[in-house]
Amino acid sequence: MWKTFCSLFKKDCRMMLSGKFFLMSFGFLAAYTLYVNFGYVRFMDARLYNVYLYDPAKTQTTVSALVQQVSSEEALAAVLRDDTSGVGIDASSGEPQLAFYEMEESTDRHRADYALSLLRPSGHHSAEVIGSNTPEQKARKEITCELLFFEIAAVGFLGIASVLFQEKSMGIIRVHAVLPMRKNLFLLSKLAIFLLSDLVFAILLTVLNVGVSDTASLLPGVLLQTALLSLIMALTGLICALLLKDFRQFTLAYLVVAIFVASPVFLSANTALKPDWVYFHPFFHIYMGLKNAYFETSLHSPVYYLGCLAAIAALFAGAQCVFRREMRKEG
Amino acid sequence: MIEVKELTFSYGRDKQALHGLDFTVEDGEIFGFLGPNGSGKSTTQKILTGILKGHGGRVSLFGQDISAAHTQEFFRKIGVLFEFPYLYANLSAVDNLRYFSSFYPKEQVRGIEEILEELEFKADFMKKPVSSYSKGMRQRVSMARALISNPRLLFLDEPTSGLDPSGAVLFRRIIEQERKKGTTVFLTTHNMLDADLLCDRVAFISNGNIVALDTPKNLKERNSDHRVVIGYLYQGRREEKTMEAPELAAGIPFAHDGIVSIHSQEPTLEDMFIQYTGRGLS
Repeated sequence: MWKTFCSLFKKDCRMMLSGKFFLMSFGFLAAYTLYVNFGYVRFMDARLYNVYLYDPAKTQTTVSALVQQVSSEEALAAVLRDDTSGVGIDASSGEPQLAFYEMEESTDRHRADYALSLLRPSGHHSAEVIGSNTPEQKARKEITCELLFFEIAAVGFLGIASVLFQEKSMGIIRVHAVLPMRKNLFLLSKLAIFLLSDLVFAILLTVLNVGVSDTASLLPGVLLQTALLSLIMALTGLICALLLKDFRQFTLAYLVVAIFVASPVFLSANTALKPDWVYFHPFFHIYMGLKNAYFETSLHSPVYYLGCLAAIAALFAGAQCVFRREMRKEG
Repeated sequence: MIEVKELTFSYGRDKQALHGLDFTVEDGEIFGFLGPNGSGKSTTQKILTGILKGHGGRVSLFGQDISAAHTQEFFRKIGVLFEFPYLYANLSAVDNLRYFSSFYPKEQVRGIEEILEELEFKADFMKKPVSSYSKGMRQRVSMARALISNPRLLFLDEPTSGLDPSGAVLFRRIIEQERKKGTTVFLTTHNMLDADLLCDRVAFISNGNIVALDTPKNLKERNSDHRVVIGYLYQGRREEKTMEAPELAAGIPFAHDGIVSIHSQEPTLEDMFIQYTGRGLS
């Protein structure tokens, strides 16, 4: 059995090499790493809004050093025209009046609160700090988690299908029906290679974007969540590729997965938009599992893991069923 | 080797493909299974090779009931040539054969280069990817795959399809060699010449029924009117005469200066097929 598995595994590696899958994964890894290190982190590190104060009578006595003084009302208007996200405070009447280049209800409430807090820096409440991540670490972990989830959910799903469609178009699956081998090894070798490549991808992505020192402690949890997601997506990809007639039909299924499955998860996990139904969305829990692993907070119960294992078992049974159907097909 | 009794099979409720087939294939026999598209040939072969399950009737291979026969041990004893040359297009002939032979015990497997040479495969293509091969070359590699494990029972589906005449002759010679080694061959084909030249017995299948089963010679003789057409020269002119074969027992019974040709009017296997089934083979 081991010899058979090795033969299949070796052949699948060659198929993936010839299909440039590893090259594509390496390309994605490089692109993600460049984006995180030279784009996302710098963007997240950008300075907060500049605050400008016009206070000719010096009525404000406890002003923060972050506030920049201007000499006239005209100068305040001019500086806001240049720095459109800045906040102006006109205290010439004794009472601070806020001025913006452009107003937007929700965002500017936050900008206004921030600007006014700088007039009385000692008065604001200090919050209890419960996390140990610096803002940069937090940003790196968040984006790495999102990219890894996207890579496995969408790109891995597409990768396994492209390999299988190659074999389908060559009619080679039918030949395996008459070979002296356990038929489920054909599927297991593919799962193994995709699982392995996803785990290596997860390690490299995490090391390159979260940093070596942080990676060591969070890696076991990340790899466990990656393995669960990888198996679920690879099996879903296998079933779709075996069931659907051609790659064109498959791209529709891919759209369903990429847009209708992944998008609500990202939206609810990263924005204030969190509809009730999202808790019934299986990928939401898997995404949160991965996110918790990155932040080393284990919130999942055994029910979550049992659910994942049950899903993997059910998908594997389904994959075997459609695989047997494919083997019976006419040439 | 193969024993089939009352074999039935349905694809769903209303689509009965086989209606009670009965036949046996002896050890070392080349058995031809002939029928038009959709007649049940492939279904029968798929049942015998263990791809299709859920049939009715009794089928035994290697003296064992089929339900118990389809183990890895069973698959080690059979070789299958599919109608189309299914191969990994990105791998070479040698790599394809190395991969497929890796599923068999080492002592059972024939040498890859030896078998490709026997199939007159162009040596400079052995390590090139299959995608660069002609149809005939692909068919040779597929045949090599079927033979590489030294099977005791060989299922061949249209073996000479896609081959030029010399390739077809080569394949027939190789199938003959397999018979000499004692391999049993179950040959599914449309090609009447292959069936006529190779098969010890043939079965005609139509609409899921076997409508005739005998040696090609018997099938033709049984339906022959035993006439011959003799072409001859007489007084400088070419003439033709049709006679009953027994009339020739004592020699040519008419005046002639020379015999140019003698053609038997025996029907071909294809004529017989049409007579039995009322359908052509295409």
